[in-house]
Amino acid sequence: MQTPSNVFRGRGSAITRRPTARGSFTPRSAVSQRGWAARAGLLATLLACTGCGGVPPAWFRPNMVEATKQRLTSAQESQVATVMLALFGTPDDPVALPETGLDQAKLDLAAGPVHSDATGRKNGLYREHCAHCHGVTGDGLGPTAAFLNPYPRDYRPGVFKFKSTERADKPTRDDLLRILHNGIPGTSMPSFALLSDIQIDALAEYVRYLSIRGETELGLMRAFFDLDDDAQGKLPETRDFLVDEMLTPVADKWRAAEEARIPVPEMPADIDMVASIAKGKELFYGDKANCVKCHGVTGLGDGQANDYDDWNKAIVEINKEIDGTAERARETKTSGMSADDLAEHRANLAWVNRFHHVLDGDAHRPRTIPPRNLRQGIYRGGRRPLDIYYRIHAGINGAPMPAAKGTIPPEEIWHIVNYVRSLPYGFDGELGADRTTTVSTRDRF
Amino acid sequence: MVRLFRAALHGIAFRGAAALLVAGGVSGARADDWGTITGRFVYGGSKPAAADIKADKDVEVCGKHKLLSEELVVGDGGGIANVVVFVRDKDVKVHPDLAKSKDTPVTLDNKDCRFEPHVAVVQTGQSFVLKNSDTIGHNSNVATIKNSPSNSLIPAGGDSKISFSSEEAIPAQVTCNIHPWMKAWIVVRPNPYATVSKADGSFEIKGLPAGELELQLWHEKAGYIGEIKVGGRAEKTAKGRKKVTVKAGDNAMGDITLDASLFKK
Repeated sequence: MQTPSNVFRGRGSAITRRPTARGSFTPRSAVSQRGWAARAGLLATLLACTGCGGVPPAWFRPNMVEATKQRLTSAQESQVATVMLALFGTPDDPVALPETGLDQAKLDLAAGPVHSDATGRKNGLYREHCAHCHGVTGDGLGPTAAFLNPYPRDYRPGVFKFKSTERADKPTRDDLLRILHNGIPGTSMPSFALLSDIQIDALAEYVRYLSIRGETELGLMRAFFDLDDDAQGKLPETRDFLVDEMLTPVADKWRAAEEARIPVPEMPADIDMVASIAKGKELFYGDKANCVKCHGVTGLGDGQANDYDDWNKAIVEINKEIDGTAERARETKTSGMSADDLAEHRANLAWVNRFHHVLDGDAHRPRTIPPRNLRQGIYRGGRRPLDIYYRIHAGINGAPMPAAKGTIPPEEIWHIVNYVRSLPYGFDGELGADRTTTVSTRDRF
Repeated sequence: MVRLFRAALHGIAFRGAAALLVAGGVSGARADDWGTITGRFVYGGSKPAAADIKADKDVEVCGKHKLLSEELVVGDGGGIANVVVFVRDKDVKVHPDLAKSKDTPVTLDNKDCRFEPHVAVVQTGQSFVLKNSDTIGHNSNVATIKNSPSNSLIPAGGDSKISFSSEEAIPAQVTCNIHPWMKAWIVVRPNPYATVSKADGSFEIKGLPAGELELQLWHEKAGYIGEIKVGGRAEKTAKGRKKVTVKAGDNAMGDITLDASLFKK
């Protein structure tokens, strides 16, 4: 297998984000001309061994799970890698094309190896604080990741859970900043409140960059499938396609999120809390809101417990596909096969072997996602009543939690919020007679 | 008369073509410009038994129904249900009679602890209703890729309306997170030329413009169907793509056999 790693060696010198004195090669001009990708690849290869001393250059890891799932050829993998290099640069030299809406200065502060510049300003914040869990690429595959439960977020699908926007929308800047400030209780994500606001802001911008990058890469890898036969398995290398059709729509979703906060009517200040909690309880157990089905009759999160989140489910589905293909290959009788069929059979076997290998290195072992235990008083997306309102209204993107929006009016959502917030403070009768499972609270952590 | 003659040359029965002409020339369109494709998907192997589903949630309601896995439904006559057939061409000319087909909403019902239909076809811009005819609550987790995914609570007797702005290259899965055995698929296409094979394996796409078209064939277990057998002759259909020449009138593809090995997954 040809890996695109050679493209990434040499501290990103093939593509600089600032126009050089000679003005020769910038991503913007590159994307506007045909044949630029080949040039980038060639340049990178030529310059690969300059400046090899000291810290080895970092490179973005291609999304090999998706590439293998789409059965991309090595030429196609290389094409994506080269295009990605031109559009987004390297971890040491990230590129913010204007279409991304990203701030290059913020990215520069967050990117690269950890070092201080001439003014004593610290750079490389992402690698110092985030990469060991979230990975240099933002794929959630850092060296620590496999030991954590839940696994660190993989930014590449562009799916975020805890935010003030609708389920399918991106989070706002403030949403990301809040997570960085507060951390995520109940997970390994710590608070970074000790960093300066400028540093936290730079990290949030870098997360957006990694996510826009990852989602664009996914789009490119999926685009091969729908190519017409006359494209001969090659994506068009035009600015129209790469920037306008693939990158910009992803970046636009991030831009749109800033204006898409869910409108939340204030909870009445003089609300009768006891009555509200009672109404919330009725809704919790009722057929309309149906919270009880997953969070359990006790609220311990012991209802529907064998579901997966989207990240893990993707791997579960892939495993099924691999097993199916392997079974088919095993049962195939190769004697008397035509040359074409034999080639296909061999390709299937190779694909199965390769995919096992890819999953070993580039995916976590899938885990189910338990519904939240509501008796603990630990709220991952924030403990403000408003945070819980958002979770109920919009559901949780990437997780099984559905949206109450459109089904449950705002005043009733507030009742459920109040009931949920009362749950950590005592069992009130459901436990015992109605309890159907015997899972201990400890198993629900 | 010239047109009838041409239709005859194309091997269309006079009677059928004439009937179409008499039927009022379908809003000014010429009858011999449009064709219908029919066919039937047949399982190449002995009929597999559908696995029982154990309804372990809401047992008092869902336990009453005999639920069977619908991943692969093969009828007594060997026909395969739920095979998706659609026209891949994006700029295909649409028959005037079908122009309004978008105005009727498509419904995906949560009924008897399963989805009805198992595979729903919808056009971009067409209204799509997620409905719940059961006496228990459901949710419908719609995992689209190009369109914003959604996951709404659908209370007993309630519904939720969504629509899709872009087509989907692969049918999107719909699941209910409360009842994990519930699974359905939504095919989102930019034109009305998509259908799903019926219980007996048969399908029909009407009002196709005559000429070269590319069909695409998909099944939830087989994915895009890579090989078919028509009239006993095996044919590779990479990515489920099959080029056809639509003639005016009827275009019967006959039995299309899909080998049992395609469904091992």
